[in-house]
Amino acid sequence: MVTPVRTTGKPFNPTGRVAKKSPSVGQRSMIPDWLKIKYVLVSMALIAIGIGIFFMFLESEEKKVKKQFHLLSEGVSKETGENIFTLDQKLKKIGSLFNDTCDMAIPAHSISGQMTREEITGYAARGRLYVSELHLTFHDVMITFPQEGEARARVTARLTGKTTAGEGINEAHEIDCLLKKIEKKWLFSSIEVVEVLKK
Amino acid sequence: MALNRRISKFFFPSLTPNFVIRAGCIALAAYLVFGHLLTPFWIKGNSMEPAYRNGQVNFCWKLRYLFSKPYRGDVVVIRFTGERITLLKRVVALENEEVEFQNGKLLINGKEQEEPYLQYPYDWTLPARRVEPGSVYVVGDNRSVPMQNHLFGQTSLTRILGGPLW
Repeated sequence: MVTPVRTTGKPFNPTGRVAKKSPSVGQRSMIPDWLKIKYVLVSMALIAIGIGIFFMFLESEEKKVKKQFHLLSEGVSKETGENIFTLDQKLKKIGSLFNDTCDMAIPAHSISGQMTREEITGYAARGRLYVSELHLTFHDVMITFPQEGEARARVTARLTGKTTAGEGINEAHEIDCLLKKIEKKWLFSSIEVVEVLKK
Repeated sequence: MALNRRISKFFFPSLTPNFVIRAGCIALAAYLVFGHLLTPFWIKGNSMEPAYRNGQVNFCWKLRYLFSKPYRGDVVVIRFTGERITLLKRVVALENEEVEFQNGKLLINGKEQEEPYLQYPYDWTLPARRVEPGSVYVVGDNRSVPMQNHLFGQTSLTRILGGPLW
């Protein structure tokens, strides 16, 4: 016969059962159960809201790329009676969105080849002389990241407005863009208008 | 009184579970049919006159070229940019064919083509070019405008969304 040796000084309990301590009368919890659940739910909701706010303010790379398109559309757009100060600001804005050199291919305007930032702003400035009102908007923006620091975007660019001769402008083009991340900024490095119909 | 009740019930039905399920099914069916199979489009411009006129409404039947390629003479809906802007053009030449315009006459592989769908005379001249594999050559029916102002040329078969329903 083997006699169990008690070494811990605790009462012998071979089955490992834990005796439930029944709360003594007059020692009831101060918070009722339903209120505890309520606290848990409220704290979970607060955590969810916190996470939501965090992700809302955390700018994803895709958002940053989309922002560049938004800024380009703001820079290119022209309102009637635009003053020189606004023009200067907008041209600076356009220039800041492009890489030092950018490959351009716009067959409709016979533009093809590499252009410097200065050439692009110069072209934009000259182009504005022929329009009294111009609005550029981007739709159906599809962004992919083929490799680190590169973003490829396929967008629909819609140009509306009026020429100085009073003719209406209403054009839409599919554009393929390559943006490169340089010093934490996404800059346009290539813009190509997709030729849907080749004569 | 009973008629009034029926009319009011028709326009303002009570939100019973059955009604919600039925309305949901109809909405889903409408989305699938008009969003993916028969997408409505509105014709803007005169490039396909007289067959299709400015302001007309039609539907693009997207399953039309599911198992076949377009034939010469078919009117096709081409995706121009994004999901919403499309072109309506007629296929005049197929892949590997040689297309040419000579003083208002269409020539395919050197042979003059009859085009009964044309109403207005035109005077286009364009040197011969071969349509690349996987492409078709499309032109509008209204060629009375100068060639420079008319959108036409070869396009990839992948850009063809379907054909107009009528």
